[in-house]
Amino acid sequence: MKVNGPLVALLAASLVGSACKASHPPAPTTAGLCTAAAPGPAPLRRLTRFEIGRSLADVMGVDPTLADELPPDEESDGYDNASSAYSVSALHAAKLLDLGESAAAAFLSDGARARDVAGCDPTADGDGCLRSFVQALGARLWRRALDDGEVADLLALATAAGSGDGRAGAGAVIATLVQAPDFIYRPEAPPAPDRVARLPAQALATRLAYLVTASAPDADLMAAADVGGLASDAGVMAETERLLRTPRAAEAFHHFVTEWWELESLPAVQKDSNLFRTWSPGLPGAFAEETRRFLADVWQQGPTLERLLTSGTTFVDLDLADYYGYALPAASGFQPVAVDPARAAGLLGQGAFLVTHAKADQTSPVLRGKFVRARLLCDPPGPPPANIVITPPSIDPRKSSRERFQEHTANAFCASCHQMMDPIGFAFEHFDATGRWRDNDAGVPVDATGMLTGTDVDGPVDGVVQLAARLLGSAQVRRCVATQWFRWAFGRNEQTDDDLCTVGQLAHALDTGDGDLRSLVRASVQSPTFLLAPAGGSP
Amino acid sequence: MKTRSKTPPPSSGSSSGSSWVFSRRAALRGAFGASIGLPWLASLGARRAHAAGTPAFPTRFVVMFSPNGTLPGAWNPMGTETSFTLSPILQPLAEHQGDLVVVRGVDQQGGGGDGHQNGMGGMLTGQPLNAGPFAGAGSAPAGWPNGPSVDQRVAEVLGTGTKLRSLELGVQVGAADNWGRMVYRAANQPLPPEDDPARVYADVFADLHADPAVLAALRARRRSILDTVAAQYARLSARLGGDDRARIDRHLTAVREIELRLTTPFAGATAACQDPAPAPAPATSRNDDFPAIGALQIDLLVMALACDVARVASLQWSRSVSQTRFTWLTPAIPEVHHDLSHRPDNDGVAADKLVRINRWYATQLATLMSKLKAIPEGDGTLLDHTLILWCNELAVGNVHSRVDAPYVLGGRAGGRLATGRYLTYAGDVPHNNLMVSILNAMGIPDQTFGKPDWCTGPLAGLV
Repeated sequence: MKVNGPLVALLAASLVGSACKASHPPAPTTAGLCTAAAPGPAPLRRLTRFEIGRSLADVMGVDPTLADELPPDEESDGYDNASSAYSVSALHAAKLLDLGESAAAAFLSDGARARDVAGCDPTADGDGCLRSFVQALGARLWRRALDDGEVADLLALATAAGSGDGRAGAGAVIATLVQAPDFIYRPEAPPAPDRVARLPAQALATRLAYLVTASAPDADLMAAADVGGLASDAGVMAETERLLRTPRAAEAFHHFVTEWWELESLPAVQKDSNLFRTWSPGLPGAFAEETRRFLADVWQQGPTLERLLTSGTTFVDLDLADYYGYALPAASGFQPVAVDPARAAGLLGQGAFLVTHAKADQTSPVLRGKFVRARLLCDPPGPPPANIVITPPSIDPRKSSRERFQEHTANAFCASCHQMMDPIGFAFEHFDATGRWRDNDAGVPVDATGMLTGTDVDGPVDGVVQLAARLLGSAQVRRCVATQWFRWAFGRNEQTDDDLCTVGQLAHALDTGDGDLRSLVRASVQSPTFLLAPAGGSP
Repeated sequence: MKTRSKTPPPSSGSSSGSSWVFSRRAALRGAFGASIGLPWLASLGARRAHAAGTPAFPTRFVVMFSPNGTLPGAWNPMGTETSFTLSPILQPLAEHQGDLVVVRGVDQQGGGGDGHQNGMGGMLTGQPLNAGPFAGAGSAPAGWPNGPSVDQRVAEVLGTGTKLRSLELGVQVGAADNWGRMVYRAANQPLPPEDDPARVYADVFADLHADPAVLAALRARRRSILDTVAAQYARLSARLGGDDRARIDRHLTAVREIELRLTTPFAGATAACQDPAPAPAPATSRNDDFPAIGALQIDLLVMALACDVARVASLQWSRSVSQTRFTWLTPAIPEVHHDLSHRPDNDGVAADKLVRINRWYATQLATLMSKLKAIPEGDGTLLDHTLILWCNELAVGNVHSRVDAPYVLGGRAGGRLATGRYLTYAGDVPHNNLMVSILNAMGIPDQTFGKPDWCTGPLAGLV
């Protein structure tokens, strides 16, 4: 690491006090617990392609990966569902047209499926059947009843586009329903022009379904909304509990954790195979499967922070057990195994996290420490200053990773920020860039001692198990998890005092709910941000 | 480091007279010993074409991006405007030197976000980033730039008669954020590139091999669908206000744009326009597939121009902060490009690798130019009727500098651009001026582009 001397002196004076110390650690969890009164802004939300694929699969029975053809969603604060970030282009419109047509073709390829919707064949049984079909499928995709004008437009389209071919006509209708704003977006009719008001049942059903299951409301939820089942908070809670027990909720949890833990890049991870002879292109897929099964199991056992951060169980097949050096599972396929107690740190000890938070050729105490700081403590370090030469240390096989990053602490200028990241990251040093355990680095025993500073759990740690235990005892971590959940749940970051109050309530729920992340779900569906709409609806 | 100041070309007057254009071009070719015809014959041919009612060949604009800055010492040519030796990085372009203008000493403007973000956003827009949702390694979170990119200004004028207003192609561009978007339809409206040659082929060239009757029926059917979809978006828009309405209106505009494609006539195969080979498999994010995907995208881009499917196109290699590893070079470079780009100036081993990486990108530009040159159009080639801009979000990677940013222009823009030149500028010359000159070279007489404070008019001596 080289920085220009005079520049360092100049910038250090201004940056030591600003870049890193300007961040605001979250307030303690229980201090000033308040009651949020207003819902905060409610910008129009759009389904992510993950949600679009699942919605089509659940409503129409088609392959959810059809939606993978859509352009990627913008990521803001690490999440793919931020209302303020998404863009629209002709490419989006063209891909949605393709999606509508491919979903229609897949759906109509199974005659029984089409007949199930309205009890008749929409491609052959005439106008009356097509009308029933449009009303029934439209209500599921648009999550509300279609009005007469909308139905008439779609029937006219079937006539124009079908030219006497019933299948072509029905296909055009389906393709249109899929591209429509009422499917792709989540418009909510403003309940009251001049005051904050509770959302109508159908809008609540949509919010609830995408929050808990990342998919369209199922038939039971639509029915509950129709008969007033969501008019009371108890009714909302009953549906929430029901949905939490569905497989869709477990998958939605997996998606949230993938975004929260910055694991999206896992499939594309590659390592320097000259340095790491045991690396193979299939490993990222194996790590992904390990973590998927681990999270499914955590969800089933009760998704507590304790399990996420300290579990000593994971899931491996023979190859992955061999790779990690675990006892081989008795049966083929992925099986639960007990990990070495020295790496019993839940997700923190799994390949999925370790390889995405490392370089191709070496570990990165910076990336790993920064993850803990930004995603678990919500205290992201300040940016590196512009216009200095920033470079990771060259690989010198005679130096351990810790020695290579020594410049960060030897140089006061660098240390001002890196003291917040590197000493946390050093606790992971027993795991190399490919996620394997190592006792030695560059011929010397690994030193995995680290230090937490500027947190509510400051102090030295040795290794990832101690680090995880420390984090588990941190109110700051629980407040941060609540913050992450708020951003994910509502598709925006916290902005108003009421928002901060809601985050505090979510954190309190986590505290009193034994760290079970489902308590975040339950608290959020009782919050004004979820139940109420601002005056006049969306701003 | 700046060298000498602006040198006006022999003539910078109006370039609208076709005989001037063609005679000038032929003269330039003569200067490089590659003359393909006498000036009077060329201009006669052009007049005949007009007399017969045959449309003149359209002028096209292409942007090629490569990331993470370069090494000025290995990028800058040596010599004078008309007599210069290409640098180690630009050396692969030697066979096209007579079709190049190398521009040195122009400062790339940008603002908001971190150095890579604002470099990427300002590179083609000449605008700062607005506040927004993308938290970078610098200052406040930033969004998208505050105006259209130069290619979209060109498309506004030249892209209205073709099936596609513009064609955005990418090679492993990845995530949707302002580190990975360079083309903007308007302020805050990024146009994502298509990363998969297989999908480009299906979307852009399907018409070439479709049965005309089937194609006509499909187009009519899609028009009916999109009419209905557009009406739905219009109805929702009327119910909304503020940002929500603007977003739905943008979606509506996009629907109408793809609807227009269905009524644009498509000439079909000609001698120049041949159905390209479909990609053998969907594109992957595997690092080592990077060159193969790029080669397919170049072929598709060239054929999209040759078939007049689009007159404006871009090719985006990776993204700012590119993590590409040039493992296919000999010897292989295992390190991540962005990491290498941050090595200090005195790291000679890293510098050598960066030169080889940037030279590989120069080779891709040379390939693109060769393929355009291989397609005859009238008395010249497709390259003669094209203007290519090769740009980078940074000048120097390790300090995120954008002073003296690296620009290469290729092709003659239908004769409006005199090539075979190396132009150097001194002082604070904003790159917005280069964008104005590019517009002028494309026949658009704008006198300013981008953020007005960052523009003082055309770049002296370029067009």
